[in-house]
Amino acid sequence: MKETASKNTIFKHWKLSTDIDNVLWLSLDREGESANSLSLEVLSELSTVVDDLETNAPAGLVLQSGKPGSFIVGADVREFDDYEDAGLASDGINQVHRLFNRIEALPFPKIVAIDGICLGGGLELALAFDYRIATNVEHTRLGFPEIKLGIYPGFGGSARSVQQAGAYNAMQLMLSTRNLRPGAARAMGLVDELVGPHGSLRWAARRAVKKGRKSRKPGQLKRLQNFAPVRTQMARMMRKQVAARANPEHYPAPFELIDAWERYGDDPQRMMAEECDRVGKLITGPTSKSLRRVFFLMERLKAIGKQTDTSFRRVHVIGAGVMGGDIAAWCVVQGMEVTLQDRELKYIEPAMKRAKSLFRKKLRDPNKVNGALSRLQPDVEGKGVSKADVIIEAIFEDVDAKRKLFADIEPRMKPDAVLATNTSAIPLDEISSVLKKPERLIGIHFFNPVAKMPLVEIVYDKKSDAAQVARGAAFCGAINRFPLPVKSSPGFLVNRVLSGYMAKAMSMHLERNIPIEILDKAATSFGMPMGPVELADTVGLDVCMKVVTLLGGESSKREAALLQEKVYAGELGKKSGKGFYVWEKGKPKRADNDSSQYALEEITESLMQPYFEACKAVLAEGIVEDADVLDAGMIFGTGFAPFRGGPLYYLKQKGAEQ
Amino acid sequence: MTESLRRVAIVGGSRIPFCRSNTMYADKSNLDMLSAVIDGIVTRFDLNGEQLDEVMAGAVMTHSRDFNLAREAVLSSKLSPLTTGITLQQACGTSLQGALTLGAKIATGQIESGIAAGTDTTSDAPIVFGNKFAHRMINLSQARTMKQRLAALKGFSPGELKPVSPTNGEMRTHLSMGQHCERMAQEWQIAREDQDQLAFDSHQKAAAAYDAGFFDELVTPWNGVSRDNNLRPDTSLEKLSTLRTVFDKGPKATLSAGNSTSLTDGAAAVLVCSEDWAAEHKLPVQAYLTTGRSAAVDFVNDEGLLMAPTVAVAEMLQRTGLKLQDFDFYEIHEAFAAQVLCTLKAWESEEYCRERLGLDKPLGSIDREKINIHGSSLAVGHPFAATGARIISTLAQILEEKGSGRGLISVCTAGGMGVCAIVERP
Repeated sequence: MKETASKNTIFKHWKLSTDIDNVLWLSLDREGESANSLSLEVLSELSTVVDDLETNAPAGLVLQSGKPGSFIVGADVREFDDYEDAGLASDGINQVHRLFNRIEALPFPKIVAIDGICLGGGLELALAFDYRIATNVEHTRLGFPEIKLGIYPGFGGSARSVQQAGAYNAMQLMLSTRNLRPGAARAMGLVDELVGPHGSLRWAARRAVKKGRKSRKPGQLKRLQNFAPVRTQMARMMRKQVAARANPEHYPAPFELIDAWERYGDDPQRMMAEECDRVGKLITGPTSKSLRRVFFLMERLKAIGKQTDTSFRRVHVIGAGVMGGDIAAWCVVQGMEVTLQDRELKYIEPAMKRAKSLFRKKLRDPNKVNGALSRLQPDVEGKGVSKADVIIEAIFEDVDAKRKLFADIEPRMKPDAVLATNTSAIPLDEISSVLKKPERLIGIHFFNPVAKMPLVEIVYDKKSDAAQVARGAAFCGAINRFPLPVKSSPGFLVNRVLSGYMAKAMSMHLERNIPIEILDKAATSFGMPMGPVELADTVGLDVCMKVVTLLGGESSKREAALLQEKVYAGELGKKSGKGFYVWEKGKPKRADNDSSQYALEEITESLMQPYFEACKAVLAEGIVEDADVLDAGMIFGTGFAPFRGGPLYYLKQKGAEQ
Repeated sequence: MTESLRRVAIVGGSRIPFCRSNTMYADKSNLDMLSAVIDGIVTRFDLNGEQLDEVMAGAVMTHSRDFNLAREAVLSSKLSPLTTGITLQQACGTSLQGALTLGAKIATGQIESGIAAGTDTTSDAPIVFGNKFAHRMINLSQARTMKQRLAALKGFSPGELKPVSPTNGEMRTHLSMGQHCERMAQEWQIAREDQDQLAFDSHQKAAAAYDAGFFDELVTPWNGVSRDNNLRPDTSLEKLSTLRTVFDKGPKATLSAGNSTSLTDGAAAVLVCSEDWAAEHKLPVQAYLTTGRSAAVDFVNDEGLLMAPTVAVAEMLQRTGLKLQDFDFYEIHEAFAAQVLCTLKAWESEEYCRERLGLDKPLGSIDREKINIHGSSLAVGHPFAATGARIISTLAQILEEKGSGRGLISVCTAGGMGVCAIVERP
């Protein structure tokens, strides 16, 4: 392929070459970035390329990525903050529409060759082409994550995806923000051809150009989904579905999308005009700003888990209880080999059963499930200690038992193995002092349920070896969790903040007779995923009692007593069917309180006050590194209203407004 | 080319765990597995993007589309696409033969580096139409007129559609490997208990090796599997003794599913090279491939099908001047426990050594403690073409761990052949 040298000297991010068939191969390799994203500069250069293509038509055009294993991850989110004014944002969006429309109108075969992550703007650019080929491999995924950032696909995606995949599939894809595997994308019509692991994307693209391939549009049935009366019905259903997960006041983006589609779904030109308008407004709105912040916080936590290059193969978990068993199962799902130890086989068996359900649910393919089962070994004698790369202790909260255990395993461990405790209540140095090398011990504190909670607190103290802390964080990254380093202190970050929150709810219930339903409503209307009372019942009142007693001290005596009363009566919350609420089929039965009698805003403020106070205290005491990381912890560890950007960010915004 | 022969260095091997057919690798192809083990070598020895001189690999059960299997696997792997891939096959001797061939080229200076590998899956069986229907289809595709088309379809009966699947047997005798070995066991009077004991020992030794970490570098987890799933560390002699015989139902039958290898899917590879190449790439040498020999027996005229290794080893010993006892380790492929025991008995038999091998005295006995010290095919499984590479890799690592020594490899194959080799670490 001869390089078109003059073109190459102009472009920073694009490489062009023409082959003997006069096909132009257009590669995006964004300068200075490890992943391709569509920044303004990238799009501006693309516009110049298109200028030339409009005057000098090649035999065909193939778009590919110059970064092996990664296609285009979307628009450049970092540039979104540059838009202060909705009108300017709309203009910017309109410009991109015009560019993509020009591409769509080019009069020769236009093929996209996709290998790796193809999301958001990347997928939208691909949809402007005639035909899309993707590698059918594990690292290729396609989807629209925009709603997670408080907007919806604004580069023509809401129009083109509906035209290509049919309204129902396209809308569900955009609303769910799910990433599709290549096979699913093909079934939906977003991808036209798959290339297997032993195939060649280049030659498939070449064949497609030669044959002038165009993708097939959806059939009659799917086109029916775009008829006005059908849209009205579907829109209603979609609104209901989304409202169950997201309050329209807090998360406007999905509802804007549904609205636009309900009105203009069968008119792609109009849908694009709506994108300019609505996405322009959304991108400059407060929710999107906060959600972008959440995205960057997530990247920050992920980066903490990428500090070292260590690979982890074997994990040894001691304690097959609820936490230990689930930690072991999760590590197996992530591909590791795990040995699970407890005093006798009968204590390990329930964990093995729960693990099997998790494998069935997550892995589905019976061969993969069998593979996972073979990677989880019960280990009563603790033989796994000497071969483990990571050892996690999750036995009951008794400092003497833990000390004895650690003294016993230290001499048998691999010299560079990560040694961690899952304790939530015992200070690190009370355990580590029994070791010959106390600096080795860190805490890796998981949350319940392990498979659903992405945050993990990495606990360290003055003595801890920084390299071990980094490796503990890397281990969390390797099992797909977000590590948050915290200094060893009562409650660390999450439990400390939550215990104050739950205790306050109980005190407001006792002292002001506010019904528990109202308290929970106040919290959810603020944006918390779950009210404090429902949370207490879900965590388990026995656990709450211990946490409140440990962390609350004198000021929480009444609350501790109330909890104790319930625990002794066997009312442990969700797990026993009754706590503060009566639980049926996994849901709490709520009484029909008339909330208009109550000053919800004031209740919310009182309720959240200890939450914020605890956050400020944790920051002031240097338990976490900075306010951003604290916000990240509270969002990913407790689901603190993401649209508010995090507790400390929220306070800062509020303070700024006042 | 060199003036004198060079030593052939074995750097080390890599394989994926083996699985019983139609279990965890049921939807994997030979191409998938062969690429995976080549990549295993690449990862283990840091050869990303490297060009090696040759990859010699093959499979016994192949699809016609895999005619260029070794080369396709190279193209799907992380080796430079400028690496040649040569597809070869000698039934179960494939990857050992591949290593010996690469070895000869390295010794004579033709090449510097190569990977010998083998793969097999009986889950992904190449099922085809019978000849009659296949020819009918070909005729139909060549027909141009309606008359020709009708002529091509004339005489069609639905029975022609019956698919033909590959069989694990000898085309001339119509007996399977197991049935042939059953005859050998009866001829050499190998007791059931001895076969079961050998099988039991193999499982125990392999399981112990896994626990001790011996296979940590050799076996790379793949497709969610981390350990050979044929391995039964918890089996007992009692359990083995209750299994019914599978190749013969008569009273003299002794071969069971427990003392015969199961149908297995998997692949294995080993990296061989010149000492200069190893030094350039800063790779330590585990052992050296000294020599090898192939032999064949006339099983059609009643020689034992799987007795050829006795001949190959005898000839190799004659040519090297070594005695059968001059080895510290013996890796004898356990196609069937009976095959191993027949081989050992044959070497001990004065009559056999005189009549068949033309020797003055019997080759003698081997110290049983030195045979398959970390288990072998009965325990870990036997994907036909992969076994040779698995055995070389295991022996090279055993010698490295011991520090020095000499090992003998012996592999029997379908079609009445045997391949053997000597691996040494001075």
